[in-house]
Amino acid sequence: MMSKKKIYLDYNATTPVDGRVLEAMLPYFTEKFGNASSDHIFGWDADEAVEHARDQVSKLVGCKATGITFTSGATEAANLALFGFCEKNRSQGNHIITCKTEHKAILDTIQALEKKGFEATYLDVDSEGNIDLNELENAIIPETILVSLMLANNETGLIHPMHKIEKIVHAKGVKLMSDITQAVGKIPVNLKELNLDLAVFSSHKIYGPKGVGGLYINKKNKVEIDAHIFGGGQEKNLRPGTLNVPGIVGFGKAAEIAISDIDNETVRIKKLRNRLEVLLKEIDGSNINSKNSNRLPNTTNISFENIDGTQFLRKLNTLAISRGSACTSNLIQASHVLKAMGLDDEKALSSIRISLGKSTSMEDVEFATEEIRKTVNNLKTTTV
Amino acid sequence: MREIDAIIVQYEKLRETETDCILATVVHVEGSSYRRAGARMLIDEFGNITGAISGGCLEGDALRKALHALHQGKNKLVTYDTSDEDDAVIGAQLGCNGIIQVLFEPLNYLDELNPCELLRTVVSENISFAIVVQFNLDKSKEQSGTRFLIDENLNFKGKILEEELLKPILKQAKIGLENDQPHFAELLIEGEKKHVFIQNYQPPVKLILVGAGNDAKILAMQAELLGWEVIVTDGRPTHANPERFTSSCQVIVSKPEKTLENIEIDKRSCFVLMSHNYNYDLAVLKLLSDKKQLPYIGILGPKKKYQRMLDDLETGGFNPTSRLLEKIHAPVGLEIGAETPAEIGLSILAEIQSVLTGKTAMPLKEKDAPIHEKKENHFKKVKV
Repeated sequence: MMSKKKIYLDYNATTPVDGRVLEAMLPYFTEKFGNASSDHIFGWDADEAVEHARDQVSKLVGCKATGITFTSGATEAANLALFGFCEKNRSQGNHIITCKTEHKAILDTIQALEKKGFEATYLDVDSEGNIDLNELENAIIPETILVSLMLANNETGLIHPMHKIEKIVHAKGVKLMSDITQAVGKIPVNLKELNLDLAVFSSHKIYGPKGVGGLYINKKNKVEIDAHIFGGGQEKNLRPGTLNVPGIVGFGKAAEIAISDIDNETVRIKKLRNRLEVLLKEIDGSNINSKNSNRLPNTTNISFENIDGTQFLRKLNTLAISRGSACTSNLIQASHVLKAMGLDDEKALSSIRISLGKSTSMEDVEFATEEIRKTVNNLKTTTV
Repeated sequence: MREIDAIIVQYEKLRETETDCILATVVHVEGSSYRRAGARMLIDEFGNITGAISGGCLEGDALRKALHALHQGKNKLVTYDTSDEDDAVIGAQLGCNGIIQVLFEPLNYLDELNPCELLRTVVSENISFAIVVQFNLDKSKEQSGTRFLIDENLNFKGKILEEELLKPILKQAKIGLENDQPHFAELLIEGEKKHVFIQNYQPPVKLILVGAGNDAKILAMQAELLGWEVIVTDGRPTHANPERFTSSCQVIVSKPEKTLENIEIDKRSCFVLMSHNYNYDLAVLKLLSDKKQLPYIGILGPKKKYQRMLDDLETGGFNPTSRLLEKIHAPVGLEIGAETPAEIGLSILAEIQSVLTGKTAMPLKEKDAPIHEKKENHFKKVKV
């Protein structure tokens, strides 16, 4: 059997490692394998590489290198930030505010905190996925210590108005955390301008390796967190354990490439996405989610009416696309993001996320839309 | 002995035994730090240190970075950010609040123009120099280092650099020489930034003590600790003799009117008239009255004595100019309640230091600003 052409359109789930990134990493597996904590040439080489990567990563997100702590990924960073901050500041209050459309890495961690006696408010969103800023302001009570809102949504690409959010939250003397994982590398992110207190992000979304992430702590705003794992003192005791030097080196290189590529890539991908959406809109019964809002340039979330979502995805076997967020798509469960936006189960289940990336071409976009069009029509005729 | 002298002495010892070594130079400081740009230390391959780049907090890590750079055999710039109290590298509460850039330069003994050889030129001549240190805040770029000098007569010594760089850097070096202040420039060449630190080197202060009493003996020792060049002159061989002044200071026996015959006066020469002999002091004061380049003349004794000297000068047909009166400090010293010869010495040296640096000698606690002026650190932007 001839294998069919397959097109990857799920760059919000993960990205391939850039060849230049891999090349930068390789020596740190073999000849430069030292432990970054060792006090000899091998250790010094590794340590220098880690600090260089810290510089590169901090430049990508516009903060000081000392603000970055390396973790195993955004999820670990989110756990460390949420648990670390909430427990450190428990004497100030026990209330956290987040939003129903957050990533599970945030929602599940906050639920775990609720079990430990913290209270949480989950803000509603409108049909586009936007929160009501007045509602946010009203939700802040004297016990509130932290607001955690993502910069860009992984499913819809919707971008929260972080500047406005920051003003509201800080005016009330509350700290602001943001999951910036999806935004980094896709749109310019400047932590200094955003004035966030805590932020989390990941390497594998920006063509770096999996297993590495970053936690940003704003020292200028006097943000302090408790450690949650204990050991050899690495990463200022916040994330002890022998550093993943090759991974960190890869993260740094990926950040450096992202800085040089971001302007051109954003323009190119936006063009592709526009073409994609023009073609998809022509399909009967289609509706692009969050289409009227500020979104990431690479993401399209689209629902189709009267289609069995499971069959739809199985039939689209030439395309790697996602239904719901990647982390939960092995469960047949409607996306919590789309449901929060008011879509019913059926509609949410017949929605797909297409996320474009560096290797996506116009040809891919046209091929994919044609496949989707054929499949939708095919499913409609079979059900009739 | 000054730090720079100690470094040269040590460098020569190391060169004799062919022990590898590396020079560390503070090339820029933003915010506050104990040592400013121009502080240096020499580290040999066994980790022995001469000089200092901080109050002690950075030396531990700097030693590792130095040995690493020595092993790599290339110049390296390291940033110490002490504005975060828990900086991973420093790991101690510093109380400093600055970002310190340190340049490490391995020294090649076969290179007759290596940084320490250039510094040796500087200390061996009794004139001002601009020491030009090229670096790049982007650590991935080449760190050119200490490559040339310009003396006060604009003579060039060192490695000739690219034509396009030479002219603008020479221009900046001249500014540094003229302003007699450390000077920083950021050169923009074809979209790339390069940084230059121009250190204004001054030959040591020359302190001429007129009078070789026991108080002069103590003052000479104190001045030597500051690295000043001390000359003692007196008409009494019983007092002015090398047995009493055992340190490196020069001792001259001469009649008062012949005092200046063996002393070369420059703009860093300071006189203290302390012969405890009215006529001796008066005769020397007459000699000094037309020496325009002298910055400081101190006269030991009460105001009454000084007034009498002025009256006697006038009677002798000599009218002191206001410029002369301005540089005469009588009674000599700052009011710090000095009683013993050592205390008086302290008061005199503190006054001379403040006169030479143009500062007020007020308590720093009363200064409503940082110790060092902010504008001193600014990079002058130069488009090439």
